[in-house]
Amino acid sequence: MSGNGEHEVTSKTTKRNAWQQVCDGVCALVLRAAHLAFIIHRSFQAWVQNSLSQAELDVQELLQGDDTEELSEKRQHLADFLQSLPQRPKHFAVILPEANECSEGGSLKTSFDEIAYRLRKSSMAQRVTTNGRVARICLEDGKHVEYSGGDDIDADTDLSFERPPTLHVSLWSRDNGYPALARLARELAGQDECGRLSSGSIDEPCVAAKLVDAAGHEHPDLVLLYDNLVCIPDFPPWQLQNSEVFQVGSATARSLGNAALSAFTSYANIEKRWGK
Amino acid sequence: MLQLQFQSWYAYAGLTVLILAYIVGNGVYGRQLPLPLNKQCAAVCIYVQGKVRLLAVRVLRQGPIPQHVGFIMDGNRRFAKKAHMETPSKGHLAGFTKLTKVLEWCNDLGIKHVSVFAFAINNFNRSAEEVGALMGIARDKLRDLAENSELVNKYGVRIRVVGSRELLPADVRESIEYAEEKTRGNLGMTLNVCCPYSATDEISTAIRRLVEDVEKGVLSAADIDEAALEKRLQIPGPDLDILVRTSGQIRFSNFMLWQSAKMAYIQFVDAYWPEFSFYHMARILVSWQLASRDIEKRKLAGAVHDRLASGEQLRNSVSSSDTYCGDRTCE
Repeated sequence: MSGNGEHEVTSKTTKRNAWQQVCDGVCALVLRAAHLAFIIHRSFQAWVQNSLSQAELDVQELLQGDDTEELSEKRQHLADFLQSLPQRPKHFAVILPEANECSEGGSLKTSFDEIAYRLRKSSMAQRVTTNGRVARICLEDGKHVEYSGGDDIDADTDLSFERPPTLHVSLWSRDNGYPALARLARELAGQDECGRLSSGSIDEPCVAAKLVDAAGHEHPDLVLLYDNLVCIPDFPPWQLQNSEVFQVGSATARSLGNAALSAFTSYANIEKRWGK
Repeated sequence: MLQLQFQSWYAYAGLTVLILAYIVGNGVYGRQLPLPLNKQCAAVCIYVQGKVRLLAVRVLRQGPIPQHVGFIMDGNRRFAKKAHMETPSKGHLAGFTKLTKVLEWCNDLGIKHVSVFAFAINNFNRSAEEVGALMGIARDKLRDLAENSELVNKYGVRIRVVGSRELLPADVRESIEYAEEKTRGNLGMTLNVCCPYSATDEISTAIRRLVEDVEKGVLSAADIDEAALEKRLQIPGPDLDILVRTSGQIRFSNFMLWQSAKMAYIQFVDAYWPEFSFYHMARILVSWQLASRDIEKRKLAGAVHDRLASGEQLRNSVSSSDTYCGDRTCE
């Protein structure tokens, strides 16, 4: 008799498990359908964005194109628009999808050399700014510095006495983030061991002072994440503290230049409350 | 006869739709325009909503579930203004109610760690009245959560309060200690309440703790690396999977920077925190599930790159010591 009772319980448990499995299977199908619906919705949104952006001006063309009358007019129009924005970032950062660093043989030095070469060759470095002088661009990656443009630089020029560059471009890598914080901790520990510093004096302003970049900025005002994935890939974390983050994927924006323009437009209307 | 039957079917269908529309409309919007059977309709709507939510949770759990989710609960005061509430603190109370609901959803979904940005260090710049009201809410609600909530009593949620608590009034610190002590042995979901908190303060405190440990001889300066620094953070792990900020603002406001910059999936939701709904949560989860494979691939690629880079540094250091030995006359 007890054997029959056990058999009944086992059979009920098996039926329940089977029923649960069927329910789980149906739920899994519904989830797949939800994923598909989401992908279709996102693709449709991207298609709509792309269609709208066809009518916009191509910023990449304006930056790199030759100096024709039509392009000069469009550049002036763009410059007027940027000047009219109620607020503009002083320090602007762009996060690009992982490219050179993780590729075989890639390194930040390679990126630096490539970008320096392109800057020297580009017409942007020859253009005259609003104050009537040719734009001077400083490119640095923490180890190397190079200047492009400007009409008053030669091999003997002492750059430390020169006017600040019109544009300062810093190349950052993962090394500027977590490893830099670890190096700073080692440096402070070393100073503590030598008696030049006490651990009690290590606070936020002390750390912030050590993390200022070569151009004298603490952190970017605006970070453009030019990637389809909405994730920050090892960007220096300290520098994100009060940055506005604008994400646009390569599938949605016509070009990096257009993405930057959208980011500036979005930044123009933000309200910073600083905790209040 | 057949025609009459069809006409009856249409009549039944139309009547059913009307009744359902009345129940839903009265239950959802009945507060603005009270109609007969308002309470009963609201009860039906809440019951059905609960069942639909449970079904949605079951569906979502068939896919990957994040381990750690962070919320920046922004927009309470603007919600209070929008809803014509008397004071901004009513908005904060509505925000707390929403927090308890969100914690229930996270618990149902099987999320193991939830971190919420309750109060920033620079929020002390607000008016004394508002800060006082917020401290009062923190003191009362933390105690209430630890004592009476189903989440703690039934589901074993563990409460941790993270931040520079020496800046808080004594009565709030007491409530914090009480809540932490009462839930210390709980094995369910971990709730990290960041109050008062800033990520830069967390990182600089971790650096200071590292240097203090070097002073005490726990480790040497040469042993300091990212892992040692991360262990001394107030929220050391697991890695943050999703970061959600409400109210449409697109910044981190100094919240969990170390954790967020490690490929956390970031979602800026254009709704105030008290208006954050299960629909928003489900949408975020579905989009994270779709992106999770790409995120894992990128994390693996980053880990491989780090190993190669550290291997390169080791090779360089070994080769430089060979050169040094080669320069001297070696015995």
